[in-house]
Amino acid sequence: MKNKTFKALEHFIDLILKYRVIVLVVIAGITAVMAYLAGHIAVKTVFSDLLPKNHPYVEVNNRFKQTFGGSNMVSIMLEVEKGDVFDMTVLRKVQQITQSLQKVEGVDTYQIISLASKKVKEVRASTEGIESRPLMWPNLPTDDAEIAVLRESVLNNPLVYGPYVSIDMKATLITADFTDSEVDYFKAYRQIKEIVDNARGDGVLVRVVGEPILYGLVNFYLTETIQIFAVTVSALVLLLLLITRTWHGTLLPLTTGAVSAIWALGAAKLMGFHLDPLVIVVAFLITAQAVSNSVQLVSRFEDEVANGAPSTKAAARVSLLNLFKPGMLAVVADAGCVLVVALTPIPMLEKISYIGTAWILSIMISALVLTPVLLSYCRLEKRYAHPIDILPALRWILNLCSAVVTSRARYGVVIGAVAVFAISALYAFNLKVGDANPGSPILWPDSAYNQDATAINNKFQGSDRMFVVVGGRNEGDLKEPAVLESMERFQKYMEAQPEVGGSLSLADVLPAVKRVLREGNARYQEIGNTANENGELAYMFVSGTDPGDMDRFADPQAQNGSVTLFFRDHQGETIRTAIARVKDYVAQNPMEKADFMLAGGLIGVLAAVNEVILSGQIEAIAFALLVLVVCCTVTYRSMVAGVFFMIPVMLSNTLTFSYMAWKGIGMNINTLPVVALGIGLGVDYTFYIVDGIREELHHHRDVGRAIAKSIASAGKGVLITALTLITSVVLWSFSSLRLQADMGVLIAIWLSISAASALFLMPALVYLFQPEFIVGSKRHPIELAPDAEPVPVPTA
Amino acid sequence: MAADSTLSLGGALRAASGVVASSLPLLIIGCLLYAAFFIKWEPEISQLQAPAIERRDVFYGVAAPGASVVWAVGSYGKIVRSDDGGEHWTIQSTPAAVHLQAISAWDADRAVVVGNAGDVLVTSDGGRNWRSVDVPRSEIANKLLQVRTLPNGIAWAVGEVGAVLRTQDYGAHWRRVLEEKDQAWNDIFLLGADGWMVGEFGAMLRTRDGGESWSPKSGPLKSSLMSVRFRDPENGVAVGLSGAVLVTHDGGDNWLEQPRVTREHLNSVLWDGKRWIAVGDKGVRLIGSEDGTRWQGGRISDKDLSWRTQIIAVGERYYLAGSNLAQLEGDQLHIYGRD
Repeated sequence: MKNKTFKALEHFIDLILKYRVIVLVVIAGITAVMAYLAGHIAVKTVFSDLLPKNHPYVEVNNRFKQTFGGSNMVSIMLEVEKGDVFDMTVLRKVQQITQSLQKVEGVDTYQIISLASKKVKEVRASTEGIESRPLMWPNLPTDDAEIAVLRESVLNNPLVYGPYVSIDMKATLITADFTDSEVDYFKAYRQIKEIVDNARGDGVLVRVVGEPILYGLVNFYLTETIQIFAVTVSALVLLLLLITRTWHGTLLPLTTGAVSAIWALGAAKLMGFHLDPLVIVVAFLITAQAVSNSVQLVSRFEDEVANGAPSTKAAARVSLLNLFKPGMLAVVADAGCVLVVALTPIPMLEKISYIGTAWILSIMISALVLTPVLLSYCRLEKRYAHPIDILPALRWILNLCSAVVTSRARYGVVIGAVAVFAISALYAFNLKVGDANPGSPILWPDSAYNQDATAINNKFQGSDRMFVVVGGRNEGDLKEPAVLESMERFQKYMEAQPEVGGSLSLADVLPAVKRVLREGNARYQEIGNTANENGELAYMFVSGTDPGDMDRFADPQAQNGSVTLFFRDHQGETIRTAIARVKDYVAQNPMEKADFMLAGGLIGVLAAVNEVILSGQIEAIAFALLVLVVCCTVTYRSMVAGVFFMIPVMLSNTLTFSYMAWKGIGMNINTLPVVALGIGLGVDYTFYIVDGIREELHHHRDVGRAIAKSIASAGKGVLITALTLITSVVLWSFSSLRLQADMGVLIAIWLSISAASALFLMPALVYLFQPEFIVGSKRHPIELAPDAEPVPVPTA
Repeated sequence: MAADSTLSLGGALRAASGVVASSLPLLIIGCLLYAAFFIKWEPEISQLQAPAIERRDVFYGVAAPGASVVWAVGSYGKIVRSDDGGEHWTIQSTPAAVHLQAISAWDADRAVVVGNAGDVLVTSDGGRNWRSVDVPRSEIANKLLQVRTLPNGIAWAVGEVGAVLRTQDYGAHWRRVLEEKDQAWNDIFLLGADGWMVGEFGAMLRTRDGGESWSPKSGPLKSSLMSVRFRDPENGVAVGLSGAVLVTHDGGDNWLEQPRVTREHLNSVLWDGKRWIAVGDKGVRLIGSEDGTRWQGGRISDKDLSWRTQIIAVGERYYLAGSNLAQLEGDQLHIYGRD
């Protein structure tokens, strides 16, 4: 049975080597087609892709975002250095920006709010009755007297003074909302940047924040990202060339990586997916897998040649024959681990998971077929590309590994690993879900964007919003005094949280109108006593203005209204506390005629994301382990193999989480793709080492010697890959995007753990426990190969 | 035989360890799946204790029955008290949910509070217990706007629809003193047997017999008067909407309108022993000379634009009720509940 598989494999390898020209042509053809497709893949961020499917918060957000303000809000702050904002220069700039924003693509023209917009009104009583008119629309004030009137109106208006003009009157805000389906972040970013740049100067500071700006910036840095990617690849080439000293040792792994990448991106295009610039680092992660598999083959090939293989073709054949099983196992297990990520109900993760799976599966062809075929074209005699030889250094390290593993030091390695695992597993509980710090974790803390965000959040109530919908059971229920009062009490309750800078709802609008009706008497700044009175107050507020101006507070049927909460930051802890407090309030204050519905706006959808990602991640880890166990159990026909290979995976996960907790990298929508795809990594190298040991034991029964041999051969490949990849990935630290730098480090950690467990820990464990599936047992001895050396018999 | 048994023991051990090793992965995976599906990652709700005075709290009335005891009342039935001159505040639970408009105290234990919907609350134990009491009500509207305590358990409350109510037993029973009418009374002030009331449409009333009988006085204004104070039976000041200031030197028979120094509403006026002080909307404060003829406007603090409904003096210190609760000493304005 086993021999049958083996025969089939031999046959297959002979076949591809025999028809190697055809194989090359076919692969080249497919690569050309895929390259064409890959060239047309869209690189963009689609925010809705980040939101969990079927989550109630997201459904509320999608239902009401058009009117109550979605998650794509841009805030522009104009701050004066001297004096206050009631100054012609500033007001003119406000008007210019407000008008220019209308032309920005994808902007919801009804949701541009500033001092100069038609929506911002004052209600005043005059001899003719109640009048509701825009503050500064269509015309700017013309003289000092009119400016004074404007200042008075602003100070009198709680909907403006505070939310749109800062309490110290030194800053004013302009907000614009984008239609989710139409927003193109990069275009929005460029157009708004132009508007904002034009407005700078004359003693006015202009700051701008918002998701469109943030993701626009990410797109803006795309060129830089690609440059870093190119530099990383160049570094990879140089390092490979330095270490292997041969052109084929350099170019073959690179070709493998490139072919895989092209196939994967082409497949992504075929599946109708786009590429998110933030996850380009992920590409490197998978390329690392491709490169590592290819390096193993090349390294083995060279060993075979050195051992006197008759031809390169024969050497390629033997290499593939021996490495096919661990290589295949690595690819299939990795692909399975990446595929389970699709179970997390976030569309972007699903897409990345499919792309990643396709990518990893393509390694089967690019590494396990293409590399041996190309190797067969190499020459037998070795020609070095340069005189520097660092192989002795590598050998020294590998000898050290063998020495450590087969000496008493192995106990130290194992105990050390157990300790590291225990400590990191405990420390991993400090990992924060959601953003761990104020400001965007995508960018460096000292980036202009994050500084702008801090400045705006200091001057105003907070630039991140969440709306909670108060849904009446019937039309008009929103006018009920009990409902409005509950809304106001809810706002007060929520504002007790320090991160909530303020809140706004119909319950703030109507009292202001009532006060105006009552001669401006402060004692009447309160909600009307009856539903009818509240209806009249609402009518006063909108009378003589555009229909729809009330929309951001309530729908025209007065059935659904919003309470908008302003947050000073969107840290995971802030959001979780807020959501828990909303639920707490709702549980303690049931309303007869209406219900609170969670939750829209940026904070609302982030809450939804944060709620699913932790359980999603744990679920993905569980299924990834399951995939791994199944793969290993089937391959080695032993459950023990399953638990054995779980060790490096679990270790790499706890260490990664600990590192994230230590560095304050939260598990959020941006880090998740990399973290999730990394779950199953950390075990490939081990497959090669362990399989090498097992294979070696076909020739003799000395486990120690087998380990040393395997480390010397497969270990060399591991070391080459790890060294080159880790060094290149460090280059990501120079990225302008903090996220990419962070993720680069994470990848480096994975690769280090993989290498360390493959070279030290796993061989030590093999030597210590001598698991049956590797070293065999009395009942299932490892069959010795026919050309095996005689078992060393103790001589008498 | 012996060899056999050791062998089988070893075999059993090996089998057992094999079972453990084989089931371990399933166990780990099972635990992780359980955690993923069934453990709800609820945040440790750091039970945020709301401070006694919150940002959104509005205070309409403040009273200080002693050097260090301060009471303030406001929105949604809120009553707070400080026993150390405003250093620390505690919330007192009340049976009322409406906005409370005014408080006045007989002493540190006994006080009365009036509010919207004709709600009247009394306490006789320093506010540990607030009791709701019945008062005569109108069919139309019942918001009570101001209350004044006088010695011997007397108190007057005034409000919408001409409400003028009096108690003589520390608030237990209330009687309507004047007929209902379509005009609200905003303030009442008594000094011995002399008393004055001001209200909507510039209306004024005057009593010389401790409130048994009231006679109307015609004032120079048609706009609402919000507050009235006398420093002696002859000299008084009334303030009102749009910065109106009226001064009398003959016990309220004749009122002289002063040149307006502000257009903001003035809601409360006070004689602190040396000067007149009036406060109102957008942080304005007027300071008037002893004879009430020279008034000086401006804001208490340039950065503060809060509206105020009442100012009281305790020694050198003032307490202010309004869109926030504040303390003023010299030029130092301290707003409670803010950083």
